[in-house]
Amino acid sequence: MHAQKTRYSLSQALFHLIAIAFCAFTTIPFLLTVMVSISGESSVIQHGYSLFPDTFSWDAYRLIFSGDEIWRGYMVSITVTAIGTGLGLLLSAMLAHTMAGQKVKYRNGIALFIFITMIFNAGLVPWYIFVTKYLHLKDTLAALILPMLINPFHVFLIRNYFKSLPPALMESAEMEGAGPFYVFAKIMLPLSTPIIATVALFYSLAYWNDWGLALWLIDDRKLYPLQFILFKIQSMIHYMSTQGNLVSGSQTLPSETAQMAMVLVTIGPIILVYPFIQRYFVKGIMIGAVKG
Amino acid sequence: MKGMFKELRSNRWYYLMALPGLLYFLVFCYLPLPGVLIAFKDYNFKDGIFGSPWVGLQNFAFYFQGDYAWRTTFNTLFINANYIVVGTVIAVAFAILLNEIRTSFFRRTYQSLMFLPYFFSAVVVGNFVYLMFSSKYGLMNQFRDLLRLAPVDWYSAPGYWVTILVGVYVWKNTGYAVILYLATIVGIDDELYEAAALDGANRWQSIRHITLPLLVPTITIVTLLAVGKIFYGDFQTIYSIVGDNGLLYETTDVIDTYVFRAVKNVGDVSMPAAVGLYQSICGFLFVLGCNWAVKKMNNDNALF
Repeated sequence: MHAQKTRYSLSQALFHLIAIAFCAFTTIPFLLTVMVSISGESSVIQHGYSLFPDTFSWDAYRLIFSGDEIWRGYMVSITVTAIGTGLGLLLSAMLAHTMAGQKVKYRNGIALFIFITMIFNAGLVPWYIFVTKYLHLKDTLAALILPMLINPFHVFLIRNYFKSLPPALMESAEMEGAGPFYVFAKIMLPLSTPIIATVALFYSLAYWNDWGLALWLIDDRKLYPLQFILFKIQSMIHYMSTQGNLVSGSQTLPSETAQMAMVLVTIGPIILVYPFIQRYFVKGIMIGAVKG
Repeated sequence: MKGMFKELRSNRWYYLMALPGLLYFLVFCYLPLPGVLIAFKDYNFKDGIFGSPWVGLQNFAFYFQGDYAWRTTFNTLFINANYIVVGTVIAVAFAILLNEIRTSFFRRTYQSLMFLPYFFSAVVVGNFVYLMFSSKYGLMNQFRDLLRLAPVDWYSAPGYWVTILVGVYVWKNTGYAVILYLATIVGIDDELYEAAALDGANRWQSIRHITLPLLVPTITIVTLLAVGKIFYGDFQTIYSIVGDNGLLYETTDVIDTYVFRAVKNVGDVSMPAAVGLYQSICGFLFVLGCNWAVKKMNNDNALF
């Protein structure tokens, strides 16, 4: 009995050790970014990136916040995320409501119409030509919002949730003369807060983190979202480092610490809310997993 | 026809609610479809999709006769296959491991920390990779220095990058997949484990003979969904890590990055459209194939 117990706690210790090692793997890049962003530039140049720098300094933050580019980037990112999430969520939920309506004869047709877009697309070039030449979205704020407004996967997720609600609730409301809009706003949405919150967070995250749309559709610096500003800085540094000595003489290189401060500026909001929102994502993934 | 109008009228509020969403899909997913004709044309902006002259299969020939078709297709499939295999094995292992951890406080904390990288954008990920592999200041070369090994100029050594990309994939996606698999494990009936324990099975044996077999359906679905997307490269991650660094194309250039460069850097659209169409068709066939496979095994889990 005693030997059994020792072996058991040994294996527990081993499990903890492996889990801790993996958690170190997932968190160290973030911690390192934090530390480099507050290191003195000289200690990076002397010892490389380090979790334990010799000298500390806020210069990197002072530098990046001195221009107005970051502030403008924040404004663009916040606007895009807010409008995109609000509008996308509303349209997705309304679609889902129609698709979950038992009386709606063409609900499966609608589902098919949406589903086809998940398994076949024309490719990026026809999309790009259409969006720029016919919709004239290039260099507009709408270019950062509209092309990813609705994620079909999330529409199906909400529909499945709506379908799982007791139909008696809607039937009794409709008996008393409530229309689909009323049922949607007063019954379906309030009863579905877990899935609505989850999808809202998935949309927000997607908008906040996106830079693909800016890469294709935005040339105007005033419309750069935060992530894309970071991407531009990063690719410039990449370019310079692969060009080696060609350009190292000129002092145009943004400092190493400023780049890391910039990373923190873009992920800061996410890190701040992460402890509070994490469980909604977990719930969403589990609902998706169980319902398939 | 009459029935259709009657249906649209009697449920008009429902259809009205669906309309904006349907318009979105119509405009952004269906209306671009005629644009695939560009693949068979020598497109110029002035004449547009329908006015530009036909060139038959010339755009496809250009792609397939060069070295690029083989290289980009191979890289796309090879990188994705590695993602699927390595990613699944590690995620399943950690899901089982977390489930074995007794204290729920630790289990939750580990799960949260593992899930964290999922929330970072591809650009931020590219930056993290740079922190690790920058030849001048990066952690990897500092580490090699400690072991008295010569530094490596990672960003000009294509041989390492499939491994690095797979490492990044595991780093970013394991947390998500662990939650998915844990949901299945938690759903397993406790009585099965109790019965096994009564028969003298130890923890390892019950994992081997109960947990793993019951995970197989979930693993199969997740894997087949991923295989269905195997023709689509991980553009955002790869492009933010590799960018326009031609030294690494040999192992990291996938169909999507190739198409992007051809459009953005070269300014050609006809040949990339052909490549995109080739990708869409192969991708579509893979989805159909995978769905057929799911159906064969378990009809309930099929997508359509």
